Amino acid sequence: MKGPTRTLDPDFGLTFSMFYISAVGKGVPAVDFELTEDQETIRKAVAGLLRDFDDRYWMEKDRDHAFPEEFYAAVADGGWLGITIPEEHGGHGLGITEATLLLEEVARSGGGMNAASAIHMSIFGMHPVVVHGSDELKRRTLPRIARGDLHVCFGVTEPGAGLDTTSITTYARRAGDHYVVSGRKVWISKALESEKILLLTRTARRDEVEKPTDGMTLFLTDLDRDRVDIRPIPKMGRNAVSSNEVFIDDLRVPVEDRVGEEGQGFRYLLDGLNPERMLIAAEALGIGRVALDRAVRYGREREVFGRPIGMNQGIQFPLADALAHLDAAELVLRKATWLYDQGRPCGREANTAKYLCADAGFTAADRALQTHGGMGYSEEYPVARFFREARLMRIAPVSQEMVLNYLGSHTLGLPRSY
Amino acid sequence: MERDEFTLVRDMLRAFATRFRTGSADDVKAQTRADAQRALDDLGLTGLRRTSPPAATVQECALLAEEHGRQPLTTSLLGTALLAPELLRLLDDGERADPVHGDRPTVALAGDLRFPDPDAVGLVAWDCDGADTALFVHAEGRVTEHELGAPAPTADLLRGVRRASAEGRPVGRLTPGAHRSWQAYALVVVASELVGAARSFVGQSVDYARERQQYGQPIGSFQAVQHQLADATVLVEACTSAARYAAWCLDSETPDRALTAARVAKAEVNSSAVEAVYAGMQVFGGIAQTWEHVAHLYLRRVLVGATALATTADLLTVLAAPEATR
Repeated sequence: MKGPTRTLDPDFGLTFSMFYISAVGKGVPAVDFELTEDQETIRKAVAGLLRDFDDRYWMEKDRDHAFPEEFYAAVADGGWLGITIPEEHGGHGLGITEATLLLEEVARSGGGMNAASAIHMSIFGMHPVVVHGSDELKRRTLPRIARGDLHVCFGVTEPGAGLDTTSITTYARRAGDHYVVSGRKVWISKALESEKILLLTRTARRDEVEKPTDGMTLFLTDLDRDRVDIRPIPKMGRNAVSSNEVFIDDLRVPVEDRVGEEGQGFRYLLDGLNPERMLIAAEALGIGRVALDRAVRYGREREVFGRPIGMNQGIQFPLADALAHLDAAELVLRKATWLYDQGRPCGREANTAKYLCADAGFTAADRALQTHGGMGYSEEYPVARFFREARLMRIAPVSQEMVLNYLGSHTLGLPRSY
Repeated sequence: MERDEFTLVRDMLRAFATRFRTGSADDVKAQTRADAQRALDDLGLTGLRRTSPPAATVQECALLAEEHGRQPLTTSLLGTALLAPELLRLLDDGERADPVHGDRPTVALAGDLRFPDPDAVGLVAWDCDGADTALFVHAEGRVTEHELGAPAPTADLLRGVRRASAEGRPVGRLTPGAHRSWQAYALVVVASELVGAARSFVGQSVDYARERQQYGQPIGSFQAVQHQLADATVLVEACTSAARYAAWCLDSETPDRALTAARVAKAEVNSSAVEAVYAGMQVFGGIAQTWEHVAHLYLRRVLVGATALATTADLLTVLAAPEATR
C-alpha cells in the first residue's frame, strides 16, 4: 500500500472502537480491544514502508548527525505526513489514535526517536494552526506540510522558563503590519532543518497582564537566517535530528503569520498538550517494543555455558517484566487516544500514558542493553542507541515529575506544589 | 571493653536469645515475657554505659543491639539496658537536678514513637518490659521522669509499650551537645536492632531456599530466588555499614558529625531493612503468611522500627537542610 488516501475510509477516525461496548450473545456487553481493519493496515503499511531503513542506516545518521532525508521522503511520498491535517488542506483528517499508531510503528521500525522526531511536528504539531489559524495561513502552510516540502519546528521553551511557560520573555512588538520579535529559545528540535517556526512570544509582559497566561501570542513564521542564529546543542542521543538554541534578533513577522488572536497563544497551545503527550507515549512505547524484540532475539541466539542466555531466569524475567509493563502502558495510551478522538476529557489518561510509556520504554531499553552484555555497549548493536533515546522520553516534552504534579493536583485534588 | 570480655558478653547474650526467642506469636504470654526479662536482667547489662567513661563503647552496644534483634525477643535490652542508662550518664555530665525514682527506667517517646517536637502530646513509655518508670527528653533538652500506665497498642507484638503519665518529675537538662549525642545514640541503637533483625531473617530465608524443593530441586537453585536473596543481602550490608559507621562516629567524632551519621544510618535502615524482610518473606512463600511463622514478628519489628524515633521523611528533610541549620 502506498498511503492512506487510497485505501482508508474517510470516517475512519470516528469509527475507532478500542473500548467499544458491543452486545455479544444474549446482550452481554463486551469490551473490544481489536484495532480496526484500517488501523491494522496503517501498522502493516508503515512497517512495510520502513523495512528498508535498517539498523545501519540509523546508526550512520545518528553517528554523522545527519537528518534522515531518505526516510523523511519515503514517509512524505507515502502520504503519511498529513495524517491528521484536514482533508481540505491536503491531509487525511484522521484522529490521534491513527497518529499514535503511525509514530509507534515508526519508532518500532528501529528508527527510534531519530525517525519519530524527524516527522513528529508534521504529524500533529500544526494542531493550533488547524484549529485557530486563519484560512489564508492554513492554505499557505498546511498542504505543504502534508506534502513534506515544509519543515517546521516548535519554539516554546526558553532558558529562563523551562516548563514554566508563562515565564518566557521572547517579545513581539507590533509595528504597523508586522511584529518585531527578539528573544532566545532553547531545546528547539529540528530548528536547523526547518523553514518555519511555530513561535510562542509575549506581546505583553507578564507583569502587565491580569493572568500570567494572558499576553502570549503564537506565530507560524519564517526562520529568517539573517535575523535568527541557530546553534545545535551537543547531546547524548537522537543525533540525527538537531536540538538547538535559537537566538532571535529583531525578526520581522508579518501580521498574517499570527495564529489566531493576539494574547491568546498560550490557550491555543493548551489544546495540543494532551495529544502531544500521547504521541510521545507512542514513540516511547515503540522504542520499548523494538528494544525488547532485539533483546529476545539476542537471548535466543547467544549461548553461554552451553545454552541460550534467554534460558536464565536472570535474563528471562526482566524481559518478561518489561513486556508486562509495555502491555499495560499501551492500554492506557489506547484509552487516552480513544477519549481524545471521542472529544472527551483525557488529561488524566494522556499524562498517565506518557508517564507509564516513558518508564516502560526506558526500562525495556535498559534491560535490552543488559541482556546484550558488553555488546550492548557497542554501537554494532542498536540497543545502545535505543537506550539513549528512550532516556529522553522521561524528560521531554514534560518530565515525569511534572506529570505527577498534574495527577497530584488536577486528578487527586491535592494542593498544587509549585 | 577488652576483646575477650566483649566476646564473652556477646556470647552470653546470644545464648540468652537462643533460649528465650519467641517461636511463634502464640508463645507471647505475660509469664514467658517476665521470665525472659528476668533472665536478661541477670546478665547485668545496664552498667555498660552507666559509668563515665562508659565500660562499653557505642560500637559494642550497637553490636549487642544487633544481636538482640536477630531473634524474636520480647525483652527490653534497648530501653532499660542501653538507652536509659546512657541518658542518665549524659545528664550526670551536665545539669543533673534530682535523683531518679525508678530502679529500672526505660525511655519515653512522643505518642507516635518519634522524638518529640515542642508540641508533643500523649507520651508513651517504649520498650518497657521490666521497667518501672520512663525518662522523657523534651524537645529543648529538659528531662522528666514519668509513671507507667496501661499498655498502649502497637503493631510490634514483641515490644512492650505503655502509656506514660502526662506530668513528669524534673530530672535535669541535657546540654545541647549531650542532647545531640543522646539522639545520635538512640538512633544508632534502634537502627542496629533492626539491622540484626533484617540480617537474621534474610539468613533464615536463605536456609529455607536451600531446603525447600520444587520441581525436584531446591528453590534456591532458581535464579529469580537467588537474585532476590542476593539483592536483600546487599541491602542488609548497606544498612549494617551505615549503622556501624554511625556507632563509630559516636565513639570518635563530634556530636554533630555523629548525629548526621546516625540520621543517615536510620534513614538507610528504615528502607533497606524493610525491603530485605519483604524479600525474605517472598522467598518463604505462603508459609510466611501464617500466624505461626515468625516472619510477621520480624516484619512488624522492622515496620514499626522504621517509624520509631524518626521516619525517613523526618530524616531526609533534616539531612537536606544546610549543615549549619540542622
